[in-house]
Amino acid sequence: MDLTYLKYKKILLVDDEKEILNMVSSFFKEYGFSEIRTAETVEQALTVLQEWKPDFAILDVMLPDGDGFSLFKRMRTFTLIPVLFLTARGEDEDRLTGLGLGADDYLVKPFLPKELLLRTGIILRRYYKGENPRVQLAGSQIDFERAEVLKEGEKISLTAKEYDILQALYRNAGRIVTIDQLCEAAWGENPYGYENSLMAHIRRIREKTEENPSKPVSLVTVKGLGYKLVLEG
Amino acid sequence: MQSTFKLIRRFIKILLLSVVGLFALNVVLFLALSSQGVSNAGGWEAAKNLGQELQETDAGFVLSKQGQEILKERHAWAILVEDGTGNVIWKSDHLPEEIPLHYSVAEISYYTRGYIADYPTTTASRGEDLMIVGHPKTMYWKHMTPTFDYALIAHVPQILLIFLCVNLVAVFFIYWISVGGVLRSVNPIVTGIEALPAGKDVYIQEKGLLSDLACAINRVSEKLMRQDRELKKKETARANWISGVSHDIRTPLSMVMGYAGQMEEDASLSEQNRKKAAIIRQQSTRIKNLVNDLNLASKLEYHMQPMHAQPVNLVAVARQCIVDYLNLDLNPQYTISCETGKEFSPCIIEGDKELIRRAINNLIDNSICHNPDGCTIVVSVAESNAGYQVSVEDNGVGVTEKELDILRNTPHYMMNDSGTREPRHGLGLLIVQQIVAAHGGSVTFSCGKAGGFRVQLQFPKLPEEKKSVQFPNTTWL
Repeated sequence: MDLTYLKYKKILLVDDEKEILNMVSSFFKEYGFSEIRTAETVEQALTVLQEWKPDFAILDVMLPDGDGFSLFKRMRTFTLIPVLFLTARGEDEDRLTGLGLGADDYLVKPFLPKELLLRTGIILRRYYKGENPRVQLAGSQIDFERAEVLKEGEKISLTAKEYDILQALYRNAGRIVTIDQLCEAAWGENPYGYENSLMAHIRRIREKTEENPSKPVSLVTVKGLGYKLVLEG
Repeated sequence: MQSTFKLIRRFIKILLLSVVGLFALNVVLFLALSSQGVSNAGGWEAAKNLGQELQETDAGFVLSKQGQEILKERHAWAILVEDGTGNVIWKSDHLPEEIPLHYSVAEISYYTRGYIADYPTTTASRGEDLMIVGHPKTMYWKHMTPTFDYALIAHVPQILLIFLCVNLVAVFFIYWISVGGVLRSVNPIVTGIEALPAGKDVYIQEKGLLSDLACAINRVSEKLMRQDRELKKKETARANWISGVSHDIRTPLSMVMGYAGQMEEDASLSEQNRKKAAIIRQQSTRIKNLVNDLNLASKLEYHMQPMHAQPVNLVAVARQCIVDYLNLDLNPQYTISCETGKEFSPCIIEGDKELIRRAINNLIDNSICHNPDGCTIVVSVAESNAGYQVSVEDNGVGVTEKELDILRNTPHYMMNDSGTREPRHGLGLLIVQQIVAAHGGSVTFSCGKAGGFRVQLQFPKLPEEKKSVQFPNTTWL
């Protein structure tokens, strides 16, 4: 998929450490993101959010005039843009608080800039699908908006479970997703005993997406662990 | 309270044994004394013998020498009263003057039972006549109307039993009254002492019989509570200090890691400088991991780590750990695989998924760290009678028996109070041990089948009744 359009998304960085702001800005700019603004306080951040209307925000938790969690709550009253918390507060309780509020991700300092960029890419890709939201596989395309697969000019509908499983695989495209994560995506928390049903659904998805379902190239099995969705392009 | 009841039971046992013992002792004493004495002090026997020793001759009555000896020994006198007339037909020497020499039937009846002029008498028949022996006034006391109701005699066993019961009740009542006061004073003391080891704050009212003891226990409790508070304060301060340092170091370390990472990928820099930047980035990552480990280890040690207990499928956690490594583009010289005893069989325990994940990750990290030339790592989950077992095993350089011995028996320097600063092994294994211990499990270090290092984590099974129950969210480790 061509993700160039994401590079024009407007990103707001909020942190009380100027050096961190400079460093993160320089990374993003180096990797092609041109629309970046920074804020060092809650008030500054709210002003930028209301006036500049960014597409994505990276928030620190500890700020001189408040905390990132309360900033998140206040900004949710007027914008639904994706948010990633980038903070030195790495306790489980803090992470759960941040994610529990509805943040899209939580990254603890110290961090590798590349990891921040990758996580940002995943979030932006999930939120902003571009003009052509179809996912290109080797032998077919998936249209998540219509919940169907286009294969050899034919439209094949996906069932709800197949959709959930494919969504989970797509969100982690190129990475292995465990059997348990896929069962959780399809059947909810603590899905014990659904492994055989999952295998049946995977077989049907392959029949819909693969040119040769018995020799899959897009939905690959990683023996004993899970499955991986390989995208084209 | 249990010890008080034990004390009461012991007292009552002693009391009962004492009562029975005393009774038996008295019976024995009575029997011993009575066996040595002569029945009725020999007075009636003496009268009978005198009757036999008094011979009637033509010259009158003659008392034999034995008869005279009897009277002499007993300082007694004797008379023989004739049947029919009531006259004294024989009298011994030294007969007191006030003794009558004629008796009516009524007098004989009275004197036989009682006294003649205050002299206690005993009688015996001599043929048709009556031999009366008078003893010194201070020798006997006579019961003049020895008559018992036959019904009373027939009910003696019941009467004795009633006596015994009433006496026992009376004894217990007296005991209860006298001991009750002591028990009232002892009970709070015993309760207080029992509460001390549980770390509870104890206060006993300082009054009554044992007020000194109550006062001492209150002082001990105050001291223990103060020491406990100070210890907790120190532990919290230590954990907070580590937590604070780990927090404060994160931002500067972010800068080091960030710029080093940027320089590592900067094509405009020379290969040598990019390598140097890579080393800075790698070492910064090590510091980051060390700080995180130190923080977690101290929190686990001081029970400050929250535990989100829920049913956890160990197979799922093991798979997730392996996949996390594989998704991070693991160096191809390392391979990680998952083995489960029975495919797709969940191994569910009650625990904190993230902490267990951390433990398995630490073990995989450990294998990678100690085998820089690469190795094969196998994570397996199996079921045993005792519970579930997660093993992380590699075929790398392994450990010697000496190293295994140190791992098994020497506490980590964080846990050691001997003052040594020698780090026996990294924090990673310590954290694994702490996490497994917090789940009620155990850790075993051994040599792997393929010559490498093997660590087995043993977890208890989730009780059947809990498998369908939702767990409370947070407890503290």
